[in-house]
Amino acid sequence: MNATALPLPAPRRDSLGARAVRQFRRDRTGMVALAVVLGYLAAAAGVWFGWWATDWGALTGTKWEPASAAHWFGTNIIGQDIFARAIYSTSVAFEVGLVVALAATALGAALGAAAGYFAGSWLDEVLLWFMGVLEAIPFYLFVAAVAFALQDSPWAMQVGMIATFWIGTARLVRGEVMKLRGIEYVEAARAIGLPSPVIIARHVLPNTTHILLVQASIAFVGAIKTEVILSFLGIGIRDGVSWGLMIEESTKEVLAGFYNNFLAASLLMFGLVMAFNTFADALQDALDPRKVG
Amino acid sequence: MDAHWPRPPAATRRTVLVLCAALLAAAGCTDPDRPAPAPKAGLRAFRYSMDQAPTSLDPTQAANVYANTVILNVYDTLYAYQYLARPYALKPNLAAGFPDVSADGLTYRIRLKPGVHFIDDPCFPGGRGREVVAEDFVYSLKRQFDPANQPQGAWFWSGRIAGLDEWKAAGANYDQPVEGLRALDRHTLEIRLTRPYPQLVDTLTSGYSAIVPREAAEFYGPRLGVRPVGSGPFRLVSYDTSRVVLDRNPGFRQEPVDLAAEGFNPATQAHTGVAAIAGRSPPFVDRLEIDFIPEASAAWTSFTKGDEIQFTALPVEQADRVLASREPVALLPEYADRFHFAAGSEAGFVFTSFNMDFPEFGYHPDPERQRRNRALRCAIIKAYDWKANNASWYFGLARVFPGIIVPASPEFDPTLDAGSVTRDVEGARRLLADHGWTAENLPVLTVGATAGVTSRLYFEQFRAWLGEIGYPPEKIVRKTYANFGNLSRAWKRSELPLVSKGWGLDYPDAENTLQLFYGPNSSPGSNDANYRNPAYDALYEQTSVMLPSPERTARYRQMNQMVIDDCVAITGLSRTRIYLWHRDVIAVPDREIVGGFWLKFVDLVPQAGAPGG
Repeated sequence: MNATALPLPAPRRDSLGARAVRQFRRDRTGMVALAVVLGYLAAAAGVWFGWWATDWGALTGTKWEPASAAHWFGTNIIGQDIFARAIYSTSVAFEVGLVVALAATALGAALGAAAGYFAGSWLDEVLLWFMGVLEAIPFYLFVAAVAFALQDSPWAMQVGMIATFWIGTARLVRGEVMKLRGIEYVEAARAIGLPSPVIIARHVLPNTTHILLVQASIAFVGAIKTEVILSFLGIGIRDGVSWGLMIEESTKEVLAGFYNNFLAASLLMFGLVMAFNTFADALQDALDPRKVG
Repeated sequence: MDAHWPRPPAATRRTVLVLCAALLAAAGCTDPDRPAPAPKAGLRAFRYSMDQAPTSLDPTQAANVYANTVILNVYDTLYAYQYLARPYALKPNLAAGFPDVSADGLTYRIRLKPGVHFIDDPCFPGGRGREVVAEDFVYSLKRQFDPANQPQGAWFWSGRIAGLDEWKAAGANYDQPVEGLRALDRHTLEIRLTRPYPQLVDTLTSGYSAIVPREAAEFYGPRLGVRPVGSGPFRLVSYDTSRVVLDRNPGFRQEPVDLAAEGFNPATQAHTGVAAIAGRSPPFVDRLEIDFIPEASAAWTSFTKGDEIQFTALPVEQADRVLASREPVALLPEYADRFHFAAGSEAGFVFTSFNMDFPEFGYHPDPERQRRNRALRCAIIKAYDWKANNASWYFGLARVFPGIIVPASPEFDPTLDAGSVTRDVEGARRLLADHGWTAENLPVLTVGATAGVTSRLYFEQFRAWLGEIGYPPEKIVRKTYANFGNLSRAWKRSELPLVSKGWGLDYPDAENTLQLFYGPNSSPGSNDANYRNPAYDALYEQTSVMLPSPERTARYRQMNQMVIDDCVAITGLSRTRIYLWHRDVIAVPDREIVGGFWLKFVDLVPQAGAPGG
């Protein structure tokens, strides 16, 4: 029997990103979660573009109407449409989540990279001390203090969250950058005289993207949950409506046997948080070089 | 297969039990600086509840029902209202009788009951409470005019008692006499007025007129607000933001209850069991515990548990679960079996006044703009939906009426045109358009509110109504305050363009609400609207010296119409309050007029096996 040797195809040299996308697309649960998140995003986008839920504050019904064709989730004590408020709250959740996730991740990346690149220097020491100080303050007390200090600012809650959420990202990035700064291409960049900020921005930080994406998704979910708690406590959303405020409203209604506000806000929040957590897990798996490789 | 936790060894169980006991004991400990000793066995305690806490127990700060409820139970007043008489009727309290009034109505002589003592307190020599004398009343009223106390009650007597305002202007030296306020001897007091004041005796029932010993005010200084020293039926045990605990004053004077003199009406009040207090001297309970529970749902839960608070107002959200009918109010059998109830219209009202000192809405140097401002206020009044407000927050049972003379006043006019409390969205839009108001030039309207879900929804409702007449929602801004005290201060300092408040009558006379719009009472006085209408003020001054008469009533109504015509306030609504209390409590609760005066008459049905039971 003659054997004929066939030429082997050249191995594909996909980038890490492309392999991560392929890996993610193979994760059915992750894809479903992504679809749910995109559905929520579409609902929020509709609010931003003024397509729906524009009348969230209007009195379109009477007190505590049950679910009906006119009011899918019924109405609250003053006759506002609960569905419109719940959908509007989705946009508020995304606004809070995105602002906090982006700002906290950017801050954490910048400060974590600086601390890691200059590990052992006074800058690293100061940043570590500062992170330790902030972490030592109970979170809700800290946010309440910020909210009190910025009483009339609609951003008080976001500032409070950003001021604490960046720390986890910074610690992880610091560790990663400490590894990266000893690698040859970084040393080469240093050898040709590139300034440190350029090396960090161009050659170090891009290699922490997998950490940043996962941390941003965690911050996003954390911000949404925190907003609900803070709004419920009266130190969150000041003007407007959010799931937290709807749950706060429901504290009176539940005792009267009217659950629509509570169910609408709780279930929508639960759906988004579950979907985003699942999505974040899948993303983490997809970006993990050990699994992708 | 059932799963069981493995049973821990006996020694471990004992350790856990000891730890649990220690934790429980620790949880029961109280701050030694604020002692609130647990009731002793057999102690008869009445546990009352209010939705807010007083910020001070100093009579100079008795500006609301919360403070009055406590102050009237630890201090004495010269007069009081009969416990059971409706309409309200006066009776002597610390005074030995009604005053002797001179023929010109300017001089009042009042005899005090002898032998009444303040409670024992370290502020007195030897810690023994001394006798209450006429000079104590003189001193207490002077305190209301001493700027150092930042008093809130001077408006009752300002410009009316000869020399009192001058005393204040001269530096408020307590050793300086006041011409119109003198102790003739230990038990005789003389008040000389600058002009007749038909409501004078009514004002002597209020917490502002409570009698404070000079020794206590000087000994405690500002701490008098948390260390009251009076001669009332109770004495303070502890006071913080969550509750106040009072114990029976063992030295309180013995005055057996005469039911007829208290206005008892067997037809309407016998079912409360109140006849059982006849011939006995109050107070009847050993301890009065007043819990401050802002959330109505929390108060309701505590009330229905059965072993916590024994009195509460019915929360609006529970109405469908508790009421068998609304008109007339009746409880469902499962509640009627457990609780007494009373339903009635408040002696007061809720209203929102425009602060006329804000040029965006009120007085303006440009007459044309002032005319447009009036149109704007009128449009906002037309946008207000009293019917929806009533349905959302007051069971739909409140009484909506035009103007500021409340239904509980004898001068109320039930035939007055209801146009100012009837919603008219089209009319409001037309008014705005006719006066050149557009979404672009309408001023920003800042609404002050306390933090909390109810006040937020209240605001959203108001904003939505204004939205329907074309007021852009983004121009209606909510400014939150941590508590009612802070919000009230902002109103007093004239910091907000709208003032939304409830006013309970201090006495059953329309003068008490008409003074809310009297020019000289402007901020920080009771005229939060800062309404200054010379014609109104002139009428007020004329009527303030008149005894009740058809002529006075006609002038009152004229003033009422001025407030309506000038669109100064979105008004008004008298709430129907539904109170419930446990069946073992003997009481006819009533927080109207001066609040809290009835608590000394509360008794408890003796329990089997208990002393006296």
